Amino acid sequence: MHDRRAVITGVGVVTPVGVGVQAFADALESGRSAVRDISLFDASGFPCRIGGELESFSARKFVPKSYRKSVKVMARDIEIAVAAADLAFRDAGLTTRGIDPDNVDVDCKRLGCNIGAGLICTDLSELGAAVNTAVVDGTFDLRQWGEHGLDNLTPLWLLKYLPNMLACHVTIIHGCEGSSNNITCGDASAHLGVGESAGWIARGAVDAVVAGGAESKLNPMGVLRQSLLHRLRTDANDAPADACRPFDADAGGTVIGEGGGLLILEAAERAQQRGAAPYAELAGFGAACDPQGIAATRPNVGSLDLAVSKAMADADVGPDDVDAIFCQGSGVPGEDRLEAQAWAAALGDAAERVPACALTGAIGTLFAGAGGAALAAAAVAMKRNMVPGTVNFSRPAEGVTLNLSRQGRSAELNCIVTAAYSIGGQSAACVLKRPEA
Amino acid sequence: MNRRVVITGMGTVNPLAHEVEGTWAAMLAGRSGIAPNELFDASTFASTFCAQVRGYDFAAQVPDADKHAHAGRHCRFALGAGVQAWRHARLDACDALRPERLGIYLGSGEGSLDFENFTSLLVDAWSDNGVDAVQWAKLAYERMDLWREIEQESNMVCAHLAAEFGARGPAFNVLTACAASTQAMGEATWLIRRGECDAVLTGGAHSMIHPLGTSGFIRLTALSTRNDEVATASRPFDLTRDGFVLGEGASVLVFEDYEFAKARGATILAEVIGYGASADAFRITDQDPEGDGAATAMTAALADAGLGPEDIDYVSAHGTATKQNDEVETRAVKRAFGEQAYRVPVSSVKSMLGHLIAAAGATELITCILAMRDGVIPPTTNYRTSDPACDLDYVPNEPRRAELKTVMSNSFGFGGQNNTLILRRAE
Repeated sequence: MHDRRAVITGVGVVTPVGVGVQAFADALESGRSAVRDISLFDASGFPCRIGGELESFSARKFVPKSYRKSVKVMARDIEIAVAAADLAFRDAGLTTRGIDPDNVDVDCKRLGCNIGAGLICTDLSELGAAVNTAVVDGTFDLRQWGEHGLDNLTPLWLLKYLPNMLACHVTIIHGCEGSSNNITCGDASAHLGVGESAGWIARGAVDAVVAGGAESKLNPMGVLRQSLLHRLRTDANDAPADACRPFDADAGGTVIGEGGGLLILEAAERAQQRGAAPYAELAGFGAACDPQGIAATRPNVGSLDLAVSKAMADADVGPDDVDAIFCQGSGVPGEDRLEAQAWAAALGDAAERVPACALTGAIGTLFAGAGGAALAAAAVAMKRNMVPGTVNFSRPAEGVTLNLSRQGRSAELNCIVTAAYSIGGQSAACVLKRPEA
Repeated sequence: MNRRVVITGMGTVNPLAHEVEGTWAAMLAGRSGIAPNELFDASTFASTFCAQVRGYDFAAQVPDADKHAHAGRHCRFALGAGVQAWRHARLDACDALRPERLGIYLGSGEGSLDFENFTSLLVDAWSDNGVDAVQWAKLAYERMDLWREIEQESNMVCAHLAAEFGARGPAFNVLTACAASTQAMGEATWLIRRGECDAVLTGGAHSMIHPLGTSGFIRLTALSTRNDEVATASRPFDLTRDGFVLGEGASVLVFEDYEFAKARGATILAEVIGYGASADAFRITDQDPEGDGAATAMTAALADAGLGPEDIDYVSAHGTATKQNDEVETRAVKRAFGEQAYRVPVSSVKSMLGHLIAAAGATELITCILAMRDGVIPPTTNYRTSDPACDLDYVPNEPRRAELKTVMSNSFGFGGQNNTLILRRAE
């Protein structure tokens, strides 16, 4: 991506510790955890009953009045993306038609969208109400369902749950008529999407992109699936804030969080022309996968070392140039060990020296939203020259030699590397550089 | 300077056949892949038929099928298509391709829901206040299968292909609804153009022929309900069209750096010369009636290829046979092609294949390659009554001989994501 450089001019975050870049950044500095009892549904039947839940969240106040009715057809994942997009455009100082239709200052045809998403679970009670109209002798009857049961689904039911609808609603609200994509590679989605979006800018397909990811797996189906995978911490329900412990010797699994982050990526010269003050330049991107990722019950970080190395080569930086790394740190011991090894493989000795951090202790695992939050945190860190503390890290787990700290650390941050991997073995990394003044 | 991208292998598992040449022969014979639904009892559904893959022999197609024991239905299709493409490209006899230079870029759908257990849970855990989550959790632990659940995430198809072919390069899955595999192939093109990969396995896989998928589309009134005339139910651009026919399948292609392909002596099937993408940014339920978004994708692809409308010899339409799509697409072709719109033949093989959703674009791109190779345009079958709103040359009912040097393929997704690719015939 050396043709046209892409810079990050806006950040929109919706996370359990804070909504909006200011609240998010302040919360990261305070080092508090937002993991608490799940209140979205009665989770007492599950071995893990805690999560990084958004506080009284709705997308309603983030959409124009004329679009408010549409919030009814948005799954929670979509609501998160829609809110994050509104926040991101405002933070970038761009006026889309969703912000003010009379003063639009973006070229819609040159505005792209790339929002990572996961498998969206249907609302159980919504579908259950329809399913239970098709019961014969106590069991579900497919013929009854076909005959009349399915008529009880709202006509737009399917559109609530398609993973492209995060991006589609955002394009409709804000008038993004350029390329629109949605990558569905779990936790790696946002890094993949942001890297791809920088490529769109480099090749001149668009001038700006709203890119990142969002997801909520805080529903019974999401908790069930992660439970079946044995990834969740099950012995810390009475101490939720301490439960998720990335890279820590006392780690015992992750917790599910919900949220995401979207960045505004913009062609550097365009940002400069309009006098924007970028957070960072998206200077490098790399992606990889691991053929062993198919064994989803076994820890796998998707050849993350390769993704990081490629991203650094793309950005033309070496290990000694890196000032901080933003890791995934799921809190699942086997995964964290492999991730730490991958960073060490990519950075060599520098991996022990460069300040490292992970957000999961504070917010849990956000899946497709995770990378969005990590990239947002990295962008903010560069502006504030502050590496956030890794909540709940106290002493390193065996095999972890990364330079982590419970406390936030001030440092001049000119180059940050962040990377992520999915269940299934895909990985991606992005390099952020301080923008040229 | 961007690298040139060529196609060197292709494979498909679809309702017409479980390999490439059989698919092509069926299309040229105008055969329909549409029949009554045998995947579940749809007899009381508004639409009782579909374009289903029948009699697929996974173990015969994928030698180490055991490795993929957990793979779901659409993933098995993808593996079969992938193995075909891999061999077709002679990559099984290639030592030069390093694992980290082999990428995967798919537009694969989600795995199908464990509908039987899912509904039984909703019934057995039902209370006056909706689903009793505690009871649901207890029963779900007893009934739900780990692998069935994990394989529903759409990125797992990438994982299976990576395992089968030992890939360590970039791996993406996108799910831009009905546009997904065309989008995947477009972005795969750029992975090679930018030099990130020497070869990319690209395409898509999907099966939404399950009770919830069918129900969702029925509620959107998107499906044809011609239960008495199933073989001719899919009628793109015809006045009597009444919706698409839900299909399933997978197609995988090998996209390759031209220099790399040449150096290893690969047979070049076609060159990818243009890609364009856009969003309608209109409504989640409707396409932009003016076809502006769709036209933008076509125009962008032309610009990327450095061509004008006069250079395009054939357009493989999205042509779903919904009232709206075919009218909007017709308008969009006119916007993008101007006076050339009435000259260029436009056909939709969905008339025979049905709509493979995420896998549609890749399957249709394969037909474009074969059309150029043989100099034959596949027809739009079931075309009987012309629609004043659809007044282009849709190559009705019979294949047509034509010299095809440059062709365009369109895919548009629910929600407004539009993608167009342009191919050039191999020299």
